[in-house]
Amino acid sequence: MQQTGGSLQPAKSVIRVAPLEAHTSYSPYTCFQCAEGWCMTACPVDAISISAAGAKEVSWERCTGCKLCTIACPYGTMFLDLDAHKAFKCNLCGGDPACARACPVEAIQWVDAETQDWQGAFAAERSVRDLAAVGAA
Amino acid sequence: MKHVVVGAGTAGFNAITTLLSIQPDADVTLVSAEVPYARMVLPYYLSSEIEEGNVYTITPSRLEELGVKLQLGARASGLDRVAKRVLLEGGGSVEYDHLLIATGSSSVRPPVPGIDGERVFDHWTLADTQALRAVIRPGAEVAIVGAGFIAFTIVNPLLHAGCKLTLIEREPHVLPRMLNAEAAAVLEGWLRDHGVAIHTRASLERIEDAPDGSKRVIVNGSALSTQYSVLVIATGIRPNLEWLRDSGLSIDRGLIVDEQLRTNDPAVYAAGDVAEVRDAVTGQRAVMAIETAAMEQGRIVGAAMAGQPRTYAGGMLMNVIESAGLQAASFGDWAGSAATEGRAAGGHYRRYIWDGDRLTGAVIVGPAHQVAGENDMGMLKGLVQSGRPLGRWQRLLAERPFEVRKAFLSAGSVADLLPRTVLGEPSKPLEAALRS
Repeated sequence: MQQTGGSLQPAKSVIRVAPLEAHTSYSPYTCFQCAEGWCMTACPVDAISISAAGAKEVSWERCTGCKLCTIACPYGTMFLDLDAHKAFKCNLCGGDPACARACPVEAIQWVDAETQDWQGAFAAERSVRDLAAVGAA
Repeated sequence: MKHVVVGAGTAGFNAITTLLSIQPDADVTLVSAEVPYARMVLPYYLSSEIEEGNVYTITPSRLEELGVKLQLGARASGLDRVAKRVLLEGGGSVEYDHLLIATGSSSVRPPVPGIDGERVFDHWTLADTQALRAVIRPGAEVAIVGAGFIAFTIVNPLLHAGCKLTLIEREPHVLPRMLNAEAAAVLEGWLRDHGVAIHTRASLERIEDAPDGSKRVIVNGSALSTQYSVLVIATGIRPNLEWLRDSGLSIDRGLIVDEQLRTNDPAVYAAGDVAEVRDAVTGQRAVMAIETAAMEQGRIVGAAMAGQPRTYAGGMLMNVIESAGLQAASFGDWAGSAATEGRAAGGHYRRYIWDGDRLTGAVIVGPAHQVAGENDMGMLKGLVQSGRPLGRWQRLLAERPFEVRKAFLSAGSVADLLPRTVLGEPSKPLEAALRS
């Protein structure tokens, strides 16, 4: 888990939220733990491994902050800690994700499932007004 | 089957580890003038953010433990394809059944008077970094000749070391092979605000020694007003192909290879900076002198050597640098002409290049905290890599260039990208791959 010293720091969250329809809907996203692991194979110093929980995980002992993983990841789910100059991402909290524990309405659940695009259709449906605003509806 | 890899850089290293992960008892010989290390992280060693030990991708003893025969310090001088032998400088040769040429590039200095004088450095090899580390001091006036990607990798280390920095570039703007003029203007303005002197359209004519022992730099017919204690030459690199001139291998800008990265001799592969491959975005042949392309190509060749040929999907240009808190990146066909642009407050600029409704390239420059806040740089890479027609979302992105997340998530890019892998199967982390 990314330790933030108890303060609320959204910039250090590994779950990001794309606002849709003028902030009336939101699409959260995080690492898909993709099969290629573009971040892992791009890392020039072997700082990214696969944890027992099946998550690609960054070792801050080895990470040099070179940012290559942040442009190699095509999903935009590798982040750069601008204070530490290290890369960070969702590591599934060792198989007990804090996000699932914290969510008050059980919208986030920890289940073993096939990696898939679970939000594309939702986001598309909620983009109608944005498309209309640029004349592309 | 004797596998020989010439060059221990990213391409050669990834070929060896991939080959051994599939075939742990493979007969592999590594011929390399240098020990294996990661060029990408040399700037962090220059700035002492990491130790020398973190620079190495693998140690020679670990390679020996894995059964790799080592010819370190040996430089290939020729290729006898009839006898299937790599000839070594100073005599001797290594026999192969399969050969990978991954000899990378060397930095090239412009042939001007004074260029080989005292306190003129390069920044390309580990030895270069060690030499430069020994001379940079707080307050030192340092000029970098050539303001391309390599120069920019050492801007932060030199600024952190307290050096006063000057960039000298022959082209009309800095990073001419990574950024368009508008993006470069943002970067130049930012750097000048941070005390960096920048001279563009400045062609180096000669370097002289001033009476006080400092260096005087003459560009466009007159001397720059500042004198420098250290000069770094970063005017370009050239693939190391001279040793292959008489080999009969087809060479244009690099060794011409097919989709399995074989040269015109099916026993000889090429990867990394010496290979001329297909650019996956433009469809043209190109030398992709970047880390990720070398890594992917090395893995493709390693698998092929292990009897598992794979088709290389082609390379995609991508570069990222951060200088004094400003981040700049470009992807794919970033210089393409069918472009839309966008700007936001604080010096945040984007340029998107389109082929109909497909994003084929992108340029992004902005303060690092803003780029991190938008958190869409990787998604731009994903949109270019996927090549997916964006339909109505193309219009959205062209009109609202900062709404990448919406377009990326809505247009089905994730579903398009998830099945993709380089080797047709899930990747393994390095150490796990070598244990199996």
